[in-house]
Amino acid sequence: MSRVTNAVIVGAAQSPYSRHPPEGTTTGSVLADAFVRVLEATGIRREEVDGLGVASFTLVPDRAIDLAWKLGLRPRWLMDDGNGGVSGIQLIQHAMRALDAGDAETIVLVSGDHFTREDFTRLVDNYNRTTAQYLAGIPHGGPNALFAMLTRQQMERHGLERADYGRLAVAQRRWAGLNPVAVYRDPITLEDYLAAPIVVEPLGRLDCVPVVSGADALVLRAGGDGVRIRALRALHNWDGQEGDGLQTGLSQIAEGLFADAGAGPEEMDVVSVYDDYPAMALAQLVDLGYVPDGDLSRFLRERIDEGRMALNTSGGQLSAGQAGTAGGTIGLVEAVAQLLGQAGDRQVSNARLALVTGYGMVLYRYGGCANAIVLEGPS
Amino acid sequence: MSLRVAVCGSCGKASFPPPFLCPACGAREWREEEAASGTLEAVADRGEVRLGAVRLPQGPLAIARVEGDAEAGAEVSLSEDGDVPVARA
Repeated sequence: MSRVTNAVIVGAAQSPYSRHPPEGTTTGSVLADAFVRVLEATGIRREEVDGLGVASFTLVPDRAIDLAWKLGLRPRWLMDDGNGGVSGIQLIQHAMRALDAGDAETIVLVSGDHFTREDFTRLVDNYNRTTAQYLAGIPHGGPNALFAMLTRQQMERHGLERADYGRLAVAQRRWAGLNPVAVYRDPITLEDYLAAPIVVEPLGRLDCVPVVSGADALVLRAGGDGVRIRALRALHNWDGQEGDGLQTGLSQIAEGLFADAGAGPEEMDVVSVYDDYPAMALAQLVDLGYVPDGDLSRFLRERIDEGRMALNTSGGQLSAGQAGTAGGTIGLVEAVAQLLGQAGDRQVSNARLALVTGYGMVLYRYGGCANAIVLEGPS
Repeated sequence: MSLRVAVCGSCGKASFPPPFLCPACGAREWREEEAASGTLEAVADRGEVRLGAVRLPQGPLAIARVEGDAEAGAEVSLSEDGDVPVARA
């Protein structure tokens, strides 16, 4: 197996997610907090940071350079990425090449958002020009209705019931109970899941991510000790929005990803898939080869319900919260914590390999972006 | 009363919403066709409004406001409210 990069991830941190952030919180302030925390976690001095990558929906009109200025950085490498659920892996895809090429030696990647009510309305109706022109006037009310239709189609195809999806929500909440910074930590039962108010049939409240304020940060260096990158692949707009939306670009890159990694799906000790909705988490698991017989109901009962798979061990976005663009990094932060043995009560024993996916950017009917990374902990 | 659909002037592939370049052949000349009706493939009920995915005769799937009580599988007539597709049983 040839190494895809010499770059390593040396640490990760989160600015705590919050449903009700204190007065004065801004997108810039949560990104800055994540930056400070990741330096504290890694012992890296601000002066050593010569690269900065930023992913955010609500930092506008500011960009990465504004944040660099306000953090007192003089970066040799600077990058903005607005691609939501794939932004974390996307930034790593660029950062690792920059580190290999010598453009920078120490790169901090931050992602996150703080939404005011106006920010959120603007994001829902103006997510992209297609949304503003063709969907907002329905009014579609954001992505829930689109993913309700996809979920119903997946239910029909795989013979699933609402309770099947509930097993994923219940399992992730169990993990969240072990994560001190998850916004929802109280255990839930299948009955709780089914009793939650319906948002758009068949989606209930526990199928939808809680929007929070917060930010994530990662530090990458050109070499040395840390979490290694065994494989990284991406494929965006793979079907031109002409498919059924239940198959993602991961279906096309999974084989190459695992070949690059020199390890298969069942060798991953920790898995984080992008969980904007349970149906899409399941679609990705199918695409990655975790359900070879296509029997999702059995997979949910035997692998998820019984806790045999370490999936979304932070609680995922469904329980830990979706801090806007940080949703594209939450799985990376968790995987790095697990591989460095820093995951506290939820530490997966002997976690050596982790798989993380990114998915999202609804172009019209469903997400158009997908990427994935395989990480290896220090030996 | 119909929905405008972009059809590639070179290869005839239909797209909705209209792209810049034809996804199939890369051409950038378009002609407009009308879709008077389609088949409702999925419905989402938001309470205040219902959304549906409508299969157009030309091939693409459009997201529409569904007026009336049409369910998945129904033939619907199509119109536009501004640029927004509207489907009626």
